[in-house]
Amino acid sequence: MKPIRDMSTGELASFICCRLKKNGIDVVLSGGSCVSIYSNNKYVSSDLDFVDNQYFIRGEKVRNALSEIGFYEENRYFKNSESDLLIEFPPGPLSVGEETVKEVILLKYATGELRIISPTDCVKDRLASYYHFDDRQCLEQAVLVARDNKVDLAEVERWSRHEGKPERLAEFRTLSEKRKT
Amino acid sequence: MLEPLLGSTNAERVLVFILTRNEGYVREIARVLGGDPDSIQKQLAKFESGGVLVSRTAGKTRLYSFNPRYPFLKELKSLLEKALSFYPEQEREALLMNRRRPRRRGKPL
Repeated sequence: MKPIRDMSTGELASFICCRLKKNGIDVVLSGGSCVSIYSNNKYVSSDLDFVDNQYFIRGEKVRNALSEIGFYEENRYFKNSESDLLIEFPPGPLSVGEETVKEVILLKYATGELRIISPTDCVKDRLASYYHFDDRQCLEQAVLVARDNKVDLAEVERWSRHEGKPERLAEFRTLSEKRKT
Repeated sequence: MLEPLLGSTNAERVLVFILTRNEGYVREIARVLGGDPDSIQKQLAKFESGGVLVSRTAGKTRLYSFNPRYPFLKELKSLLEKALSFYPEQEREALLMNRRRPRRRGKPL
């Protein structure tokens, strides 16, 4: 097994995901680190956001599982001396805006299997931050993921309408076209 | 009113405050609600860590508002609106009837 310091974002995420799974904790990777994975690190996130997919998992169970692989808790984050990445467990449910995430993808690494939101949900997740917080970096990240992965744009459009932001989807489309050239 | 669900009166009042004013900071909420700033701060921190609220800073002030990405926001707001409709008129007015339009600096009242 590679030392933690040499692991890529995906490898470390899968390593943690597997360790938690062994301890009966089912988590899914969400947030900015999915952009790192789906864009081959064209965007680099500084944290790994794992959403507890079972709800009501006790913090102590997570702390014990992560301490076995050298992670310690500090201000709601978990850290490891060999990595700059922070591990966080944002409150569930696993959702993009008002809707639950229905599809979870399994990515295989030498370090284990990673449960991660799909590229389509990753685009929605980033667009949610753009729609609601005007975060332009997130718009760029959504474009990056959509450019390099198979994304269901009709579904993104349906979801954007449901979020009440169909007009902002046009900006995503325009920028996606621009970035193609 | 929602105390049995939310765990404390302060929790309910903090959320109702945010509902009526859209955003607020600890001292302002404590002043309007007549509560202890430390307890208000604890409630705000709890709701922020649970994803119900988000915060941003304006100068040295941390402003809290509803997290537009919270998946139960619509339902939560409906519940709070219903609770607000049962509040005594005086309290409802104190929450709703605050000056929001700008006031130029130095303008005599």
